Amino acid sequence: MKLPISIAINGQTRSLEIDTRLTLVALVREELGLTGTHVGCTTGNCGACTVLLDGDTVKSCCVLAADVDGQEITTIEAFSTGASTLHPIQQAFADNQGLQCGFCTPGMVLSTHYLLGQNPSPTEADIRHGISGNLCRCTGYQMIVDSVLDAAQRARESAPSASGAAE
Amino acid sequence: MISSELAFYAPATLAEALEQLAAAEYGATILAGGMSLVPTMNLGLARPETVISLNRIDELAYIEEDADTIRIGAMTRHRDLIGHPIVQAHCPSVAAAASVIGDVQIRNRGTIGGSVAHADPAGDYLPVLAAAGATAVVRSATSERRIGAREFVVDIMRTALEPGELLTELELPKLPADGGSAFVRLARVEGAFAIVNAAAVTSGGSATIAVGGATASPAVAEVAGDASLEEAGDAVYEATEDAFGDLSGSAEYRREMARVYARRALAEARDAAANGGGAQ
Amino acid sequence: MGYVGKGVPSLTNTRLVAGRGQFVDDIALPDMTHVAVLRSPYAHARIRSIDTSAAESLPGVIHVITGDEVKANMNAIPETYDTGAVGAKGVKWYALCLDRARYVGEAVAAVVAEDKFAAYEARDLIEVDYEELPVVADPEAAMSDDAPLVEPDWGDNIMATRDITLGDPDAAFAEADGVATGSVRSSRITGSAIEPRGCMASYDPYDDQLTFWDSTQNPHPLRQYLAGTLGVPDTSIRVIQPHVGGAFGLKMPTFQEEPLVAYLARKLGRPVKWIEERTENFQTGGHARDTRFRYDVAYKDDGEVTGIRLEVLADVGAPTALCGWGMSFVTWYCLPCVYKIPNSETHLRSVVTNKCPWNAYRGYGKDAASFLMDRIMDHVARETGLPRADVRFKNFIPADEFPYPQVSGAMLDSGNYAAALEKVLDMVGYDDFPRQQEEALAEGRYLGLGIGQELIPEGCSMPGSLILNGSDGVEVRVSPTGDVTALTGITSPGSGNETGIAQIVADGLGCELSRVRVIQGDTESCPWGFGNYSARSIIIGGSAAQLAAGDIREKMALVAGRMLEADPADLEFSEGNVTVKGTPGQAVSFDDVASDVYRNPHGANMEETEPALEATRHFKIGNVYHQPEKQGRFSAYPSWPNGAAACIVEVDPETGQIEILKYCMVHDAGTIVNPLLADANLHGGIAQGLGAALYEQIVYDEAAQPLTATFMDYTIPTAVEIPRMELAHQETPTPFTPLGTKGVGESGVGAPLGALCNAVEDAFPDLDITLNEVPLTPSRVWSAIQEAKTGAPEREAVSR
Repeated sequence: MKLPISIAINGQTRSLEIDTRLTLVALVREELGLTGTHVGCTTGNCGACTVLLDGDTVKSCCVLAADVDGQEITTIEAFSTGASTLHPIQQAFADNQGLQCGFCTPGMVLSTHYLLGQNPSPTEADIRHGISGNLCRCTGYQMIVDSVLDAAQRARESAPSASGAAE
Repeated sequence: MISSELAFYAPATLAEALEQLAAAEYGATILAGGMSLVPTMNLGLARPETVISLNRIDELAYIEEDADTIRIGAMTRHRDLIGHPIVQAHCPSVAAAASVIGDVQIRNRGTIGGSVAHADPAGDYLPVLAAAGATAVVRSATSERRIGAREFVVDIMRTALEPGELLTELELPKLPADGGSAFVRLARVEGAFAIVNAAAVTSGGSATIAVGGATASPAVAEVAGDASLEEAGDAVYEATEDAFGDLSGSAEYRREMARVYARRALAEARDAAANGGGAQ
Repeated sequence: MGYVGKGVPSLTNTRLVAGRGQFVDDIALPDMTHVAVLRSPYAHARIRSIDTSAAESLPGVIHVITGDEVKANMNAIPETYDTGAVGAKGVKWYALCLDRARYVGEAVAAVVAEDKFAAYEARDLIEVDYEELPVVADPEAAMSDDAPLVEPDWGDNIMATRDITLGDPDAAFAEADGVATGSVRSSRITGSAIEPRGCMASYDPYDDQLTFWDSTQNPHPLRQYLAGTLGVPDTSIRVIQPHVGGAFGLKMPTFQEEPLVAYLARKLGRPVKWIEERTENFQTGGHARDTRFRYDVAYKDDGEVTGIRLEVLADVGAPTALCGWGMSFVTWYCLPCVYKIPNSETHLRSVVTNKCPWNAYRGYGKDAASFLMDRIMDHVARETGLPRADVRFKNFIPADEFPYPQVSGAMLDSGNYAAALEKVLDMVGYDDFPRQQEEALAEGRYLGLGIGQELIPEGCSMPGSLILNGSDGVEVRVSPTGDVTALTGITSPGSGNETGIAQIVADGLGCELSRVRVIQGDTESCPWGFGNYSARSIIIGGSAAQLAAGDIREKMALVAGRMLEADPADLEFSEGNVTVKGTPGQAVSFDDVASDVYRNPHGANMEETEPALEATRHFKIGNVYHQPEKQGRFSAYPSWPNGAAACIVEVDPETGQIEILKYCMVHDAGTIVNPLLADANLHGGIAQGLGAALYEQIVYDEAAQPLTATFMDYTIPTAVEIPRMELAHQETPTPFTPLGTKGVGESGVGAPLGALCNAVEDAFPDLDITLNEVPLTPSRVWSAIQEAKTGAPEREAVSR
């Protein structure tokens, strides 16, 4: 079955007709060509497909595309336009080696963004709980945790009153 | 990969949803948060022909209170329960359960109604509702009925819902001023399904403990208010004769853990009562 | 002063944090088609017939392929690990099963369709008539005389056998003060890279060129295997490795889908893409570790181990062309690891079953050997009543006895095991721990300390292999503007070796790091090399890079010397400038030298000098001996990194649940090129080791049906379970590489198994608990506690 939907993707409104079998991650990757969101399991475990849906992190492999009609979707692509305009969270990950293969990283960045929006000064334990929906096999999480601590620090220093949110 | 053809409906009102559900010739599958259904569809283990999403029905997302009860709409998402003042004040163990389901992303999307209706033996709300003596409100296009939480789950992943019926609300009695409640769980890793989970409610001269994970639906035991933790654990142990085993632990292990977690839940509920309980 | 030794973040970070990496599934070509693979639902079955008519008639379906077409058009997949060279049995494995499926998930047929929906829908319409065959599900049962056979032609289920004796074990056992016996088991696991496998092929018939993108570790070898399977010249195939989302060994070739997709693209003349689903990965993506050990150990009262008899029984799953079964050989090969045991007898039986084949996985069997030896040392400590650290100190190969020949023929290059253990005991607070433990116990908390000692040899080089090979190539080019490109045969699955290569090249040339661009993973542009595995990228690829950079610098020094009228030997290259020692004003820029080389090849500065600044060098590592001596022994590993770990855990006695409070490791990888990335690799290795020790397990039932098919069943640790790790390095350089590097890519993964078992046992000083099987699930630990308590009058009421 085909269905027309209208969404705001990274700030741009798009109307398109989709197959009802499409998941949100397939919509983002295959229909919209935004391949920074990844697929690691399709069972809601790994978190590589994390995107923001109306500002909240969700696992886009577990959401049907037909079910997001009228909603706002934000993907990793919204967080930078080039190597010199990385979002502070991305810069913190890059500087602290908070990644290796980079496959889980976009999801980690989005979870970090959400976490810092909720809690600008997380403890290490807060961070570990906050990213527990994002599995990483390369880093043992340590440098990711350090990256999030650093990102929080940067956000506090640059904008004491507002969170460093992407669009 | 979802490959079977799929008819999808996303009604904006409950009435519309109930009508569509009644009209679906070969039955329809209800999609709430989708945190269990969509993975199952991705794996090809569920191949519904028709899906009715409740995600646009705002009237099913609410947390309200009366004098003696709190009422939670089925489409209330886990994260909205965690810090909610009414929940915190009157049914804090609902918030405790909501706060440990899956992970942040799951809690942002998953709903209490979806979790309860999925009836996974390890579902975290089930022991909470069973211990609290909650009621499930169930609607169809033509009727409404109320089912006790302890009767709602009839077997592993099977509920008392009849074709055409939808779980719309969960109603919980408020914890009395001198009462206490608690929720605790044992899992392999953060966010994993519970091996066992346990809720306890103390109220006046008695305590109710419900333990999930070991049996098809939560094992419930009521003990006297002054019962020892050991007695409470033993009572739950007796109620888990039908325990099953799986990759996370044998039936024997689960029964023993049901005993341990019954004790722990009761101890915490008593502590909560001593510290002013849930009611503030 | 130079980049080697500096913790430079990985050069690929910027792109990857931006979500602008390109993984194989991110590539989309016009006219692209999609493949879905039909897999055997049975562990062992004959394929009587396949009816593809319903699938073929579904709209959008382009082609359905079965074993018949494969047999008529394709060769068997060449073996990655030459079974013949080590006296093992092999099989002919095809891109699809021809007439028999030997494990759940083995590929039986495939659909090519216009979109994924049609491909998967049609896949489910293929009807296969199977005749179920008797199943071999257990490796011990597999060895019995009346066991069904996985491979009827073999006559038995034993793939490889090794038996070696050193010294006089019989005498050692006869003269021992005591003998201890036991068994150890390491469970079946898988690496679970978050990116599953996947490949895509596109064929240009006008040029007879197949371009093949693959989430692989080894582009050049894969090209050989694809060419061999397709029966075409290797020059008609270009393999490109896009970004790889984790590999850990499991993306070493050759799986069935790789030649299948290559064949389909050639046949159909359209791009063909196949992306694995996670359940397929669990069924077919390669398993590891499933090993059972038996040991007898002879010891003296002072803790000296004088003799051992070790039996290794590995369940390697179904035999294929993959190199994973070799891990069982390597487990045996490493024994008895870091210990000097004069009288040793070791036996290996690699047994096939109707389960997913092994493929390489971080540790490559070395992990299991270290685990076994840790358990043996702890057993001797228990029997003799000596502290477990003392038993290890007593038996370590002394630091002054390297290179040390181990019983298998392994030649251990270097090490100082005692120093590493001493240091880690210090870090973890070993001496103070009894007090800490006692205090905790007074509060009803059960703390335990465990020690693990790992030996993770690297640079694997097997005789006759076109992949497991101790050499690699790097080309360095300096352009007319002084910009530098390094093209490598090694590849990076995210571990950062491109950054290490850039550091080595920048230092070799004396230029700025920012001038160096590293190109990897393309058979068309990169020199021959074997790719990534066995932590060989920096030790072998890095050495080749240093040689190539050295060649160019030599030529630049000659030219610069003429430009500056100075002796080339007196020149210093640093930060993009060439200066004359002691005369800082006498200088020329690196860029001007490069420019002169290209602009004036006939000029005075280039007299009798070959033009251009390009050098390709291949490095062959030393300490590899492939001419077997009389017991058939040979040296396959040039470099022997090692480490000592210690941890403190808290165990919940009522549930068996374990929390890691502290994890420390001292690691010796020789010279460290990039300490940040070395630590990053160690963190990942340790985390995977902790996963194997506590959580991970592939489970099959008696019919060899897999019960763990998703991350819901196969538990990998999250950020909550993995503790903050404390690391220290001890640098004992190897004499066999120019920089003294030994490799760090697999390290960390071996010590957690023994350390965690030991720590949990230690948490209950009053109970006689032995935990010789991982993972240490709560139920397993709880059962062990209950067993140890049996005989106690009543269940102990323990406060939380």
